Amino acid sequence: MKPGTRLKSAACDTEVMVIRAAEGQIECGGAPMAETKPADPAPLAADFSAGTLMGKRYIDADGKYELLCVKPGKGSLGVDGQALVVKDAKPLPASD
Amino acid sequence: MSLQADLSVAAPAIPLARWADRQLRAMHATYGLPRIDGSALMGERGDHGGYVINGTTSAGIGGSRLMRTKDGGWFALTLIREIDRELLPALFGDAAVNCDDWTAIAAAVLQHDCADLVRVGRVLGLPVAGIDEIPASPAIQFMQRGPNRYGPNKDGPIRQKPLVIDLSAIWAGPLAGHLLWQAGMEVIKVESLTRPDLIRRDDPATFERINQGKASVLIDFADEGQKAALVSLIRGADIVIESSRPRALRQLGIDADALVETTPGLVWLSITGHGASGEPANWVGIGNDCGVAAGLTRAMADAGGGIGYVGDAIADPLTGIVAAREGLAAYQRGTAIRIGLSMSGITALALHEEQKHDRAMIDSELRAWGLASGCRFPPVSRREIQGTLQPIGADTERYLGAFERC
Repeated sequence: MKPGTRLKSAACDTEVMVIRAAEGQIECGGAPMAETKPADPAPLAADFSAGTLMGKRYIDADGKYELLCVKPGKGSLGVDGQALVVKDAKPLPASD
Repeated sequence: MSLQADLSVAAPAIPLARWADRQLRAMHATYGLPRIDGSALMGERGDHGGYVINGTTSAGIGGSRLMRTKDGGWFALTLIREIDRELLPALFGDAAVNCDDWTAIAAAVLQHDCADLVRVGRVLGLPVAGIDEIPASPAIQFMQRGPNRYGPNKDGPIRQKPLVIDLSAIWAGPLAGHLLWQAGMEVIKVESLTRPDLIRRDDPATFERINQGKASVLIDFADEGQKAALVSLIRGADIVIESSRPRALRQLGIDADALVETTPGLVWLSITGHGASGEPANWVGIGNDCGVAAGLTRAMADAGGGIGYVGDAIADPLTGIVAAREGLAAYQRGTAIRIGLSMSGITALALHEEQKHDRAMIDSELRAWGLASGCRFPPVSRREIQGTLQPIGADTERYLGAFERC
């Protein structure tokens, strides 16, 4: 998956931009994410329904995946069934 | 990659310093602000810091660069947070780009059209701009309103010394707070325990100049009690200054619109890169790239000065001055209001007004600035320090203690 690719959730409103990815399946709400939304929405899996937050960066334990939430939704993010977690907050917006 | 500096030659005046000075003169006449020199506010960081005009690299730490794009445009990118570099592969759609090397970054920029880089960069939350942009928001937006301080019977409480809560960081917001302090207000600088204002550490001289005389409160936003105490402090204040993106503020548990709607007379100054409402409220903007987004680099090129940065983070001091002016005006009116201030919008407004005021003069100043690459910043009058610089958190107990014990 190329960095900069924009992926949409099949189960909720979430959209992410790929910062870093490997060969695994990126999911939201328990369903695979894709560049286009399917005609019929996928059901929201109970284990992946904690929601996504706008502007947050989500990573896996090995640092192979990083997704930036550009539109929030009810589903939560995962790769091959493993949940992603929020990366630490950025420093305050700075000025130079 | 720095130019050979000719330190014997001082640069010409910073363009738009005269515009800044006219605002300050009017603030002196209308609100009793001491007479402060516009060119001092615009140029004191560059003068004291020994800055050199450096063309397409921003003056000072050089965190912002203007780079040529595939379609012949110029793209400004500011990289002063390490964590932003990790986003560059997504900006360029290329996992292999070397994010630590400006030469590699410039080569990647050359593969893309300017408008695409600006669009994707903004989605990613990077401080970016193109030289042919039109600012997305007006300079000043009047937003949520609330009750008047004086009430229907004009019997509301009036303070001897209006109270300002300054939640902002770096330059524009703190400068606004500094000017309100100069106008006789009591200013409390509030910093987050986990994310304090880094200028205290990185540029102590500038920090002291624009934060002298302010009380210092340090707050742990993970602590519900301290957060509630801060909200109580805000409810008793006259002016709030903040420079966070709206969702960051909400995630901290501070709802600006709700506080303005319910707090008589509260003036809330939201300082942003590109506007406080709609999609642009999510964009990040920093002094140098906001100057580019305002059309200042394009104006300099059109005036014969070539492509480069104008001034030192020029949108910051201009915005600080305008924010203070709007804060003083709104405080005098007495009606609670949230005012959105856009750094790119304000810089574009200043340029436009200066062009109307004296087109030939601003053009010749821009040209002279552009041709002075390699010269040190112009000397400006030195302002004496008049107030005490409080150690971080020195006044936390004094201001939050009473609320916390409730």
